[in-house]
Amino acid sequence: MRQRIELRDITRVFEDGGTQRTVLDKLNLSVAEGELVAVMGPSGSGKSTFLSIAGALLEPTSGDVLLDGKSITGKSQQELSDMRLHKLGFIFQSANLIPYLKVEEQLLFVAKQGGLDKSQARERAKGLLEKLGLAHRRSAYPDKLSGGERQRVAIARALMNDPAVLLADEPTASLDASRGMDVVRMIAGEAKEQGKAAVMVTHDERVLPLCDRVLYLEEGRLVQR
Amino acid sequence: MYLAIREMRFAKTRYSLIATIMVLVAFLVLFVTGLARGLAYDNAASIANMKATHFMMGKDADHRFTRSEVGTHELEQAQSIVGEQNAQPLGVRMTTVTVEGKSSKLDVTLLAVKPEGWLTPSAAEGSSLAEAGAGSVLVDSKLKESGVRIGTVLVDQGSGTKWKVGGFASRESFSHSPALFISEQDWQQLQRASGAGDGETSYSAVAVKADKQQAERLAAEMPTTEMVKKSEAVSAIPGYKEEQGSLLMMIVFLFVISAFVLAVFFYVITIQKSSQFGILKAIGTRTAYLAFSVALQVLLLCAGSLAIGVLLVQGLAAVLPSGMPFLLPGSTLTLTSGAFIAMSLAGSLLSVWKVSRIDALDAIGRAGA
Repeated sequence: MRQRIELRDITRVFEDGGTQRTVLDKLNLSVAEGELVAVMGPSGSGKSTFLSIAGALLEPTSGDVLLDGKSITGKSQQELSDMRLHKLGFIFQSANLIPYLKVEEQLLFVAKQGGLDKSQARERAKGLLEKLGLAHRRSAYPDKLSGGERQRVAIARALMNDPAVLLADEPTASLDASRGMDVVRMIAGEAKEQGKAAVMVTHDERVLPLCDRVLYLEEGRLVQR
Repeated sequence: MYLAIREMRFAKTRYSLIATIMVLVAFLVLFVTGLARGLAYDNAASIANMKATHFMMGKDADHRFTRSEVGTHELEQAQSIVGEQNAQPLGVRMTTVTVEGKSSKLDVTLLAVKPEGWLTPSAAEGSSLAEAGAGSVLVDSKLKESGVRIGTVLVDQGSGTKWKVGGFASRESFSHSPALFISEQDWQQLQRASGAGDGETSYSAVAVKADKQQAERLAAEMPTTEMVKKSEAVSAIPGYKEEQGSLLMMIVFLFVISAFVLAVFFYVITIQKSSQFGILKAIGTRTAYLAFSVALQVLLLCAGSLAIGVLLVQGLAAVLPSGMPFLLPGSTLTLTSGAFIAMSLAGSLLSVWKVSRIDALDAIGRAGA
């Protein structure tokens, strides 16, 4: 099985009023294709820091992140930006869609940024929206969508550039139980079907049965219980 | 482009409100500029219309026609340097005339020229100065409003000299007073009648057509006179500098205000959208793209507003009464529009800077966008 994302000995230290606080301490994680991993932990345990480092938004103090076997350390801002565009798909908490783009345009914009051909992009957007049950909403603005629909659009957008890894930041936070389940089921399904690695930071214990592995962030490391 | 246009399409009210303000500012900028130009022209039209490059004035005249005095000797000397054709005498005197048989007084400026010379304007109506002969004058058509017609006799209040109106010229004025062109001979008579001087004719200035070297030679060889460039002579006309100064200040302030309005508006919008920009950056949109997007919105708004502003101004200029001087030639319009766009782009810099400072990390761990 191909490891699509690997975090090796990630340490992150924050300066906090003169004292040094180690948030992540030699954290290791590797996620293979088709796998959905849930990361749990109380607030302040470093979940956001972990996700930021995995998502190439924040540099670790030491350690290395590998996407499809390629290291992301020592890259320029622009290269990191391109990496996020092509290798990573983000799904944020709530309302993370661009309010002035219609559903289809949300996907087309990402494709355009990724340099995908126009007709190809249209084709792919259509396919993704149909699969996620959003075909009839393609020309609606986000403020006309329900919370569940919005998260589904976010999933479609994250998948648009065929990334290696899906990173979800509490995707069910603003949804009720059954819609939350639907959304996570969709993430798990896409990961399996398209051979992507999925990492989900969550508080929501109800969705854990849908995950392949559940890890807990404790004292800067990920442990299995 | 993709984001900039779609956002404006989505938030129509918001962007049309700011566009309205921009249209008004653009309109005001163009209108005041046109008015300033119109006033400038109205003030100094006669001098500005003259085909001279320099005016030779007396040394202590402070560039002012009304204070300057040069004699026939200087005229001849100048003619010997630049050629007889290229140096012509010019007399300027501000005076008050009355229409014969009426008591109302008119403030005019007498401009004494060689009737067949190149300082004399052509007649828009009636006969030209050369055709009409001695005793006849060519007057600005504005005097028609005061009841002056061809054939009307005007009496100079100071000297009692009488002239017959031979024709009208359009747009001829000096220091906002209508111009009255008289021939060289009549000027000499007037001087004798008012008892000034010692019999020798004097003029206010010698109008010269000269290239740079000739001008330098004139200045060097004639120490009692001063070579004044046409633009300097125009701005020394009484009231010209003061008028243009206040109008220029208004224009500059309008520019600064429009830059500020745009800067503040876009800065506030950008701050409102910072988590949105964070998300865009997180999903891999480059900062340069976003900054360009913001600048493009400013540019589009500004260009659109400017186009409407130009149309409004042109429309207004067409219906303005003739008493309100308004002049907006293509060159001024282009320059003003260019400055307006440049100021607006300067106003967008603050937002561009803000966008570049937004961290993609903002997207993580945030509930709302």
